[in-house]
Amino acid sequence: MIATAPSSDLPSGPFPGSGMNRITVLQGQARVSGRVDDELTTILGSCVATCLFDPVAKIGGMNHFLLPEPPDSHDPAKVDVHYGVYLMEILINDMLRLGASKSQLKAHLYGGANLRAGMAPIGTANARFARAFLDQEHIPVMREDLGGNCARRIEFRPATGKVRCRVVENRLASETTPAPRPTRSGGDVELF
Amino acid sequence: MLQPIRILTVDDSASMRALLRHALTGQGFDVVQAEDGMAALEWLAGNEVDVVITDINMPRLDGFGLIEQLRCGTRHRDRPILVLSTESSDEKKLRARAAGATGWIVKPFDPEKLVAAVRRVTH
Repeated sequence: MIATAPSSDLPSGPFPGSGMNRITVLQGQARVSGRVDDELTTILGSCVATCLFDPVAKIGGMNHFLLPEPPDSHDPAKVDVHYGVYLMEILINDMLRLGASKSQLKAHLYGGANLRAGMAPIGTANARFARAFLDQEHIPVMREDLGGNCARRIEFRPATGKVRCRVVENRLASETTPAPRPTRSGGDVELF
Repeated sequence: MLQPIRILTVDDSASMRALLRHALTGQGFDVVQAEDGMAALEWLAGNEVDVVITDINMPRLDGFGLIEQLRCGTRHRDRPILVLSTESSDEKKLRARAAGATGWIVKPFDPEKLVAAVRRVTH
């Protein structure tokens, strides 16, 4: 099962020659799968991608968040799934729904670069948040490639947990189009 | 002076608990937190609360189980219980309603809507 439909300027669908079904994870998205022929891919600048994997259930997933947590000045009317705290929760819940067990989850973290000198170090804040979140949730981080000043391309096979992380040109990260605003009805209240 | 409304939030995510505490204490509520349904039941065995806000997917005892346990006794039969979940399927909502939930709120939550819902079910 994949949580949301892709819409991207990055290639999605069958990847020529590899036999893999490549699925792009955009900013603000979380995608999960247990299919051996699925590959989740994304390009990161200051954003962070969390790759979670349950090696027993053979289910994995990736999220891609733009900012760590809503600031104190956050306008309550503007709920935004680009925040890591929501995307972590959505990723974990989507994986549990597919049959993963939280106690078996293992994590990889990628991204969090500060691409431009002199700009606010958003990448550092994202990396700090991701590490702290996983520590609080007792999910071990098996591998991380965070920080620096280069963009990265991540290719993650959710059913096996295999990850490839490559440095790419920074302009590719800035060309990545954010996902549309949430298709989920954020914050909706229904009293029975 | 009126006692503040006391809310028990039940969620296995420490980050979500921190967000809920921040959103609710800032509006004057007295907030108590449990990390899963079992911890909530243990706490409720010896304490009183005005509203329960519970997640669904949790270890040991999930949100559905918690609601069912609270509704099968007389002490918490009429206590407002709001579900707060990333789930939004009709099937899950119907299950929660059948178990005795008072309402359903979709994560990520909007603090204003959450507070409005709490005020509505406590008045």
